[in-house]
Amino acid sequence: MGTYDITLNIHRYDPEEKKSRVQTYRLKAGGITRFVDLFRKINDEDDPTLTWSSSCEHGQCGACSVKINGKPLLACELLVENAVDLFKTTTFDVEPLDNVAPVVRDLVIDMEKAYERVHKVKPFIINPKPPPAGGKEHQISPKLMERYLEATRCINCFCCTSACISSTRKFLGPNAMLAAIVRAMDPRELEKQERLSCLFSEHGVYRCHSSFACSFVCPKQIDVAHFIALAKAGALQEE
Amino acid sequence: MAGSTSITKLLGDHAQLKYYLKILHRTRGWAFWAAWAQRATGVLLLLYVWLHIITLSGLSQPDKFNSQMKIFGFILFVVLEWLLAIPVIYHALNGGRLILYEIFQIRKEEILLKWVLFLGGVYTILLAFFMIIGDQQVSAAFFWVYMAAASACIVYITIKKLKASGASLFWKLQRISGIYLLLMIPAHMLFMHLNPEIGHEAQTIIERMGNPFIKIVDFSLLAGVLYHGAYGVYSISQDYIASEKIKIGVVVLLSCVTLLFAWTGLRLIIMI
Repeated sequence: MGTYDITLNIHRYDPEEKKSRVQTYRLKAGGITRFVDLFRKINDEDDPTLTWSSSCEHGQCGACSVKINGKPLLACELLVENAVDLFKTTTFDVEPLDNVAPVVRDLVIDMEKAYERVHKVKPFIINPKPPPAGGKEHQISPKLMERYLEATRCINCFCCTSACISSTRKFLGPNAMLAAIVRAMDPRELEKQERLSCLFSEHGVYRCHSSFACSFVCPKQIDVAHFIALAKAGALQEE
Repeated sequence: MAGSTSITKLLGDHAQLKYYLKILHRTRGWAFWAAWAQRATGVLLLLYVWLHIITLSGLSQPDKFNSQMKIFGFILFVVLEWLLAIPVIYHALNGGRLILYEIFQIRKEEILLKWVLFLGGVYTILLAFFMIIGDQQVSAAFFWVYMAAASACIVYITIKKLKASGASLFWKLQRISGIYLLLMIPAHMLFMHLNPEIGHEAQTIIERMGNPFIKIVDFSLLAGVLYHGAYGVYSISQDYIASEKIKIGVVVLLSCVTLLFAWTGLRLIIMI
C-alpha cells in the first residue's frame, strides 16, 4: 500500500474579518487514510485553526459533507486512494457546501439554516392513521415497503442539494423533497393533500429539471431523481 | 518578472480549467451536463424563433424578402443553417428523454442519453446530405399530414399519462408542447432543406402558407414554440431569482414579448 504526497487547497472563511481565502496544505498520507483524517492531521501537526465538522465518521450523520474537486461527498467515506483514482490527481480543492447554507467558518456551514428546508416539508407523519384494534401495530406489506425503503436511507447530508442544477437557497432541495415523498408514500400518513401541496409548491418539484446530479452524488446510493419523478407523474401511491 | 508571473498564473489557471473540463462527468455525471446543454440550447432556440418570426414577417414585401434571402447563398450562412440542426435535434431528443423519464417512468436514462447523441448525429448528417443534394421534392400537405398525425398520437398518449400528475396546467402544457414539437420542429427543418433554394423563395413560401391545412400546422407550431420557449425561460429564471418583485417583472416581460411575437406570427399566417 503506497503513500501519497497530497496537496489540499482548502477554501477558508474567517467570519470575524468576513474574508475568504484558499490555503494550501501539503502532507503525506497512506492510501486508506480518509479525508477527515487528513483534516485532523492538519489540525494536529500544522494548523489547529482549520475548522471542519464531523460526528459519527462512518457515513451515517452527514456532518462532514464537503465539495472535493467540485463533487459534494462525505469526507469520512472518501479514502485518499479512491480520491486519487476518481480525480486522477493528488491535488484536491476542498470547499464547504456554500450553496446550501451560509458558511460559519472554513468548511463548516450553518446546519440550522440548511435544515430549515427539511423542516418546511414537515418530516414527520402529520395525521397518523389510527392503529389497528386490539393494541396491534401497523403492518406494511413488504411489497409496499419496497417501493420507498431506499428513500428512508437518506441522512440529510445535503450533497444532493449542493449538486443540484437548481442549487439556490430558495429551492427545497432533493433531500427535503425526499423527506416529503417518503411520508406521502407511507400508508400510515392520512394527510396526503398537504404533502402534495408542499411538493408542488413553487420551490418544490417545479425547480427539479431531472439533471440526475442528486442520484449521482448521493453517498447512500439513493436514486433521488426516481422518487422526485414519481411525484411529478403522480405515481407515489401504489396502483 | 511581473509579466512572467502573470503568464505562469494564466497558464496555471488554463491547466486547471482543462483539468476541471476533463473531470466534469466525475463530479455530477453526464446527465447533469446534458441538462445544462438543454438549457443553453433552449435559450438559443427561443432567440432564433424570435428572429425567424421577424424574418418571415418580411413576406408582406416579397421582393424585399427575396433580396434579403440571397444572404443564404453564401457558404458561411449555409453552414450556419446546417449547424442550427445540432441545438434543434439535441433539444428535441433530450427533451424526449426527460419526458420518458418523468412521465412514462422509463428508467434507462444512461442508454437513452447515448441514443440521443446517436440519433442526433444521424439526423444532422442526413440533413447535410439533403442540403448537398438540394433537389428533393415532396408535397407539403402530404408531408405535414403524416407528421401532424404522428405528433397528435404521441401528444394524446402524453396527455393521458399526465392526467395522474398533480402538477400545474402550465407545467403540463410545457410537456405537451414539448412532445408535440419533438417531431414537428426537426421535421420542419428537414422539410425546408429538402430543396434549400426554393425554400427561401417568397413565392414558394406564400403558396405553401396559403393552404388552410398548412395554416393550421403553422399556427400550432407558432403557439407551441412560443409557449414552450417562454415557459422554459420562466422556469430557468425562477431557479435563480429570489426577489418576488423581479420574478413578477420577468413574468410580465416574458408575457409581453411572447404576445408580441404571437401577434406578429398570427398576423402573418392570417394575411397570407
